[in-house]
Amino acid sequence: MKSETTNSLAFTFTCNLPNGLHARPASHLADVANGFAAAGTLKNLRNGVEADLKSVLAMIAADVRAGDECLVRIEGPDDAESFETLRSFIHRDLPACDEPLAAPAPAGSAHSLPRQLRSAASYCHFGIPVSRGVVCGPTVVVGGIVIPEAVDEPGYPERDAERLSRALQAVRNRMDVLLARSASETEAAVVRAHLALLGDITFHRDLFQRIEHGIQAGRAVSESATFFGALLRRSENLYIRERAIDIQEICLQLLEEIYGPGFQPAAVELRQPSIVVAENLAPQQLLALDRTLLKGVVLESAALTSHVVILARSMGIPCVVGLPDAHVWLGDGQDVVVDAGRGLVVPSFAPGVRRFYEREGTTERRRSLALGRFSSQRVQTVDGCGIEVGANVGAAADFEAAFRFGADGIGLFRTEMLFVDRDEAPSENAQFEIYRQAAECAGNRPIIIRTLDIGGDKPLAYLKMRPEKNPFLGNRGVRIYPKHQELLRTQLRAVLRASACGRIQMMLPMISSLDEVLWFKGVLSDVRQELASRQITFDAAMKVGAMIETPAAGFLVDRLATELDFFSLGTNDLSQYFFAADRENADVAALSNVRHPGFLRFLKQIVDAARKRGRRIGICGDMAGRLAQLPLLVGLQLDSLSAPAIEIPAIKERVARLSAGACRRLLEQAIEFGSASEVEALLGSCESIEPPRPLLDRDLIVLDAPSEDKEEAIRDMVDALYIAGRIGNRDGMEEALWAREAVYSTGLGHGFAVPHCKSRAVTADSIGILKPKRPIEWGSLDGQPVRMVILLALREAGQNGGHMQVFSRLARKLMNEEFRARLLSADDPVLLVSQLGQELDAAV
Amino acid sequence: MKIVAVTACATGIAHTYMAAEQLEKTGKALGHQIKVETQGAMGIENELSVNDIRQAEAAILAADIEVEKGDRFDGMKTVRVPVQEAIKDPKGVFARIKG
Repeated sequence: MKSETTNSLAFTFTCNLPNGLHARPASHLADVANGFAAAGTLKNLRNGVEADLKSVLAMIAADVRAGDECLVRIEGPDDAESFETLRSFIHRDLPACDEPLAAPAPAGSAHSLPRQLRSAASYCHFGIPVSRGVVCGPTVVVGGIVIPEAVDEPGYPERDAERLSRALQAVRNRMDVLLARSASETEAAVVRAHLALLGDITFHRDLFQRIEHGIQAGRAVSESATFFGALLRRSENLYIRERAIDIQEICLQLLEEIYGPGFQPAAVELRQPSIVVAENLAPQQLLALDRTLLKGVVLESAALTSHVVILARSMGIPCVVGLPDAHVWLGDGQDVVVDAGRGLVVPSFAPGVRRFYEREGTTERRRSLALGRFSSQRVQTVDGCGIEVGANVGAAADFEAAFRFGADGIGLFRTEMLFVDRDEAPSENAQFEIYRQAAECAGNRPIIIRTLDIGGDKPLAYLKMRPEKNPFLGNRGVRIYPKHQELLRTQLRAVLRASACGRIQMMLPMISSLDEVLWFKGVLSDVRQELASRQITFDAAMKVGAMIETPAAGFLVDRLATELDFFSLGTNDLSQYFFAADRENADVAALSNVRHPGFLRFLKQIVDAARKRGRRIGICGDMAGRLAQLPLLVGLQLDSLSAPAIEIPAIKERVARLSAGACRRLLEQAIEFGSASEVEALLGSCESIEPPRPLLDRDLIVLDAPSEDKEEAIRDMVDALYIAGRIGNRDGMEEALWAREAVYSTGLGHGFAVPHCKSRAVTADSIGILKPKRPIEWGSLDGQPVRMVILLALREAGQNGGHMQVFSRLARKLMNEEFRARLLSADDPVLLVSQLGQELDAAV
Repeated sequence: MKIVAVTACATGIAHTYMAAEQLEKTGKALGHQIKVETQGAMGIENELSVNDIRQAEAAILAADIEVEKGDRFDGMKTVRVPVQEAIKDPKGVFARIKG
């Protein structure tokens, strides 16, 4: 057909490629279009984006998805021929250009997402969560294409155009060789797609335009990479977003041609609150970033025990790992949300995402506020048993956050973070400065500084340690000290000097014999004398303790107590040595279960021995940070727990609700079992460890709720329970409620709905009441909207008898018109709680 | 008329009891003598005895799941309805006994 208004030929077609017009089909189409002199455009009628038919990149950016209608226009000398060829190609050959690709297997899936995020599922990147918290901001790629200042010179258009042309040709030649050598059709297809991108006219136009504007060739390439990368990543299509990787690869090759094969992108500096994205980071790289601007970390590497992960966790920085190619997917300067608790990274432009996370932010703030009353003070159990809750930290910069989260002290300062990934050990003065700052920040709160804990698993290049066959059973912790005495003495001097500034204590890692302790104390005594002789002040009574990480030390606690002031259970290593099971070997990691009755017996024996000798004993392993097993630790009668700072408020809240007496009985029972699963079942079902909370509470009543629909009303109720600390996993709770709604609506008519569930997510049986400002459609039995929502939440395990009685009485009363009228007329939450309590004969 | 009934919903937290209440209330209002057994999260409550069942002329089974010991009602005039129907229209449920 000939268009009336212009002199162009045009036709429309509907894209029936299942993955949309992504790079491979687009490159075929561009090949055909490039065979003619006539210019052609493709317009996506869904979004109005128009693209040059000769440019793969431009077509990809048009984001043509399956089902989109597109308009193709041809204009120019050979337009008639071009028109016919293209039309027949699009209708006949294009659909065959898309062989199915293996879908990447994400770590999470749309099913595990909260309902409100499902619509954004296609944008979500699923990784492994390593810390909690949600943060939003622009990405900064560490290790991305940043042109080092040294080579970033002014541009000379003529010279740079020439340079760029040469680079383009050289990369093209390289690819041609690759193509000729391709072993398989798949491999060849990838190289062909790269070639198409390399020869893309939009790409070339963009590059040469930048050079014309006086931008030097290398910088033009890096800017183009950023520009097209962002363009592609904005697509809703997974395959198109992946092409950002290709662009980056091509640009890196071009830069190598321009600057020579040794080209290394520059290090980055944060200029605004940012989320750092990297393949992996060295601790020094992380520590070098401005902490006030570092909001989140996204890593491609999935190493959960890497230093940087431990650091990020102890710094309380939201961090997600295990996202392959994240630095290319996300690129520089893209606004994303890092939802570290769920292990998600979501571009914040996706519909609904911003709204969802704004709401999350409000809920979390209210939850922290509710937790605040626990974090600001020392905590004790309901029966008056006090326990100190400290923080594990990896750098001096973390102290401030630790105390903000309510740490009673620092239970573990991992000093090795100051030593790793450097060319030489930090000097005495550099260390002293850090320890002194820490002491000052802590005020009168204690700080336990662990001396250097380094070994085959975390080697230091400058110590020239021999590689070991089995580093976890090798030269680590205190075992390396005799060979590296100067390193140790330097640290001891720095710690002792700082001890004059605060309540510093020192702790030894990896002790397995009394001899090691005696040797260490000998060195310490030398250093003390040396300082004294130089009239340097230090705390002469500084306490010295040890980690209990080896079974040998565990069995020797009574003897070690003659030389040491305190102990700390390092359950991460202690459990792997106890069970002979490597924590990092996924096949056997499950064997190393700290809830194993044998392990609990061992812990109890260690704690009892320490107490008998009047020595303080605490725990600083991962075990301390898990709320579910807190009753066991309280049952052990530990003096202190130390965990990542961010966990402290929740730990204190839980401890404050536990009965120490019941926890002790629980532990006695647990150590008589034969398996960890029995202990876990006991933990889940034992009511007495946590005296029941009343079903009704003022905090669970939301009158005049702004909820607009059923989804929001359910979320609002779940949030109220979460803020009150009555549920653990909000998403799980919501899912359980929706699963029930799926059977049939809980709208029972007369303007009432009773969503309910029995779920593992529930930690305290509860009745929540929500009265929306405006009636809500609920799919009720009588078709009427809902004016009052009554949520019934029941724990999965345990004896719910008493509470179920109340639920059933409430359910029956709801059949009574006067009762319903009384509820509907209530306008004071406190009054409502007491009235309802009386009517249902429930304690409030 | 003497009637026995069982209510049982999927989770046994709310609807079992709402339906029981509706059947008891409506049954009495209609002049029936009715006993309702609930099969909910607390297990079987107000269990129907062999005598209750023998003396009854009809049984109402308002259940979304399989009623436990359902064979007790074999050979009786039985009305089976989903739980929500007993909540929404209890009169209609009783009407079905006659029909």
